[in-house]
Amino acid sequence: MNQVAAALSVAVLLVSIASPARASVNVVTTTEGLAAIAREIGGEKVKVTALSRGIQDPHFVDANPSLAVKLRNADLLVDVGMDLEIGWLPPLVTQSRNAAIQPGGARRLTAASAISPMDLPTGPVDRSQGDIHPSGNPHFLSDPRRAVQVAAAIAAMLAEIDPPNAVHYQERLQAFGAKVAAAEKGWKAQLAPFAGRSVITQHKTLTYLLDWSGLKAAGYLEPKPGVAPPPSHVASLAAIVKSAGVKGVLVENYYDPRSANQLRDLAGVKVIVIPGDVGGTKEASDWVSYVDTLVKALSQAVQ
Amino acid sequence: MVNVVLLSLLAAQAAAPDLGAQGQPFPTGALNVGSPGGIPIGKLMLMPEIAVVVDGALGYTTLSSGQQELSALVLPQHKAWPLLQEVELAFQATIDPYVRGDVFLTFSPEGVGVEEAYLTTLSLPWGLGVKAGKIYSPFGRTSQLHRHQWTFVDQPLSMQRLVGADGLGGAGGDVSWLTPLPWFAELHLAYQATAPGFANVLQLTGLARLIQYFDLSDSATLGVGLSWALFQAEAPGQWKNLAGADLYVKFRDPASRSSVVLQGEIYGRQLGDQTFSQARWGGYAQAVWRLDRSWEVGARYDNAPAPVALAPGTQQTWTALGSFYTSEFFRIRVQPSLVLLPGGQNGFQGIASFEFTIGAHAAHPF
Repeated sequence: MNQVAAALSVAVLLVSIASPARASVNVVTTTEGLAAIAREIGGEKVKVTALSRGIQDPHFVDANPSLAVKLRNADLLVDVGMDLEIGWLPPLVTQSRNAAIQPGGARRLTAASAISPMDLPTGPVDRSQGDIHPSGNPHFLSDPRRAVQVAAAIAAMLAEIDPPNAVHYQERLQAFGAKVAAAEKGWKAQLAPFAGRSVITQHKTLTYLLDWSGLKAAGYLEPKPGVAPPPSHVASLAAIVKSAGVKGVLVENYYDPRSANQLRDLAGVKVIVIPGDVGGTKEASDWVSYVDTLVKALSQAVQ
Repeated sequence: MVNVVLLSLLAAQAAAPDLGAQGQPFPTGALNVGSPGGIPIGKLMLMPEIAVVVDGALGYTTLSSGQQELSALVLPQHKAWPLLQEVELAFQATIDPYVRGDVFLTFSPEGVGVEEAYLTTLSLPWGLGVKAGKIYSPFGRTSQLHRHQWTFVDQPLSMQRLVGADGLGGAGGDVSWLTPLPWFAELHLAYQATAPGFANVLQLTGLARLIQYFDLSDSATLGVGLSWALFQAEAPGQWKNLAGADLYVKFRDPASRSSVVLQGEIYGRQLGDQTFSQARWGGYAQAVWRLDRSWEVGARYDNAPAPVALAPGTQQTWTALGSFYTSEFFRIRVQPSLVLLPGGQNGFQGIASFEFTIGAHAAHPF
């Protein structure tokens, strides 16, 4: 009898050694930007995996079934929303068989639900306007104001999933907020002399950041969202460059730079290649350094 | 039009009167008798996603109708023939927290049909999933695709003749299991009533498929599938066994829209009165290069059993493809084919096609 009790004790001990006191929360995000914010909030209490990479156009990620494996055991899925991932995320979520992360699921956080959207349509909507996002512009994560709002939503969700560490998430949220506020001061100072100046971008990816910075977009290389720039459109942008005094064009490194180079040749603007997200370049290794890279690029583009 | 209504309603919402302390509008006089209350656009939000896909073409062939026997597309000889190949109407929505529903209706010169109509479970435990209704059988790779998901304008003849003219499918259910392995490995077991090949007779069918994907690197993915179908054959000429193997390799630099896909399948079919050695085999291999956001080129070699009326042997078809996408919702394709029939009977077939989608944005096929 004593031998049985001893064996049971050993078994229980082995099981307790094999199982850590608190397994980390498995967070899966659709983009590297969301992953970076989730890491800021979760710290060592979370394991974060991004389905796409910062060098990828988030509209056109492959619905590779291998990604469904990453979703299978997700404790929390954070997606951008506003149809940014409509071309690839829905089949992966279904394939994952993870009930909690299905649309409306208890462990699904759509970041767009935490922010106020821009570029909402104000008239009839159809695809003659290009591949528009009818719910609003989904490229909001480079805006410090909205990044903090998303961070707060992630912290709240993590606290719900992992109540024993709720205070930890709240403390890290406060720390992230303070870090962003400190960085914002420097960024604002960097851009303040150029308030009101304009740039041209490939797609409406910087709308929120420009709004935050006080700069403006004089035009876009894409005549309509998702539509390749024809030479006639590039020529019309050359006239805008001259009339609005535009000095630079910003192009994410996943876009073909040929149209931007054409505009450079036509109108003498600088072409500045920027990361499309956290991880898009070596320098943009976390959220603050990503926005830092964008602010430096903006500062270059308007001089 | 719906959007205009929605926006008008949203504008009306924005201009709504101030709310009281408990979030209720202050009474303003006469009650709005008969109004359902709440947000007026609420019902519209429950509409399923709706999309319409239209496929049209202009086809030309030097082959006679006999030489095109057992093909889903039969063209008049030596005539440039316009075709409206198919209109697909898709409705997709979540039914409740546990299941979603997908319905695909097709309108073609052959009539109106239900291409697929099925439910998919969302919350079964242990990696299990169930699809039930009228479904494509979990057999092979290309046979499960809807027309607008095909890379080429037509399906390989080897698939049409050895699996099913429009793919293999029918009423029934498919239980799938996403295994807990660290790579994607999914096992399907299905039970359906299917009409294989060009026969219109339904046969009870049991199917099994194992599909696996391996990430070879950041920019290369390998997919390997094995399929098997066992048919209840009640007449000598009916399908008895069908086996298939498929291979898929995709190369894509994540930072680019450009990709190269190499894909091939082999099929083996045994009829009720055939021994294993009498089984017929066939298959195809194709390479497709997506050059950029707009252009795609491809080539396909297809080896299929020749039509019965011709000399026994195989029919080989070499096909080239050029596609141009103005957007994700419209593409134009040109597809010339060289057809080599037994007995030195050779021919040419050319198809120019357009395809457009209106409505909901579909997922990109992988």
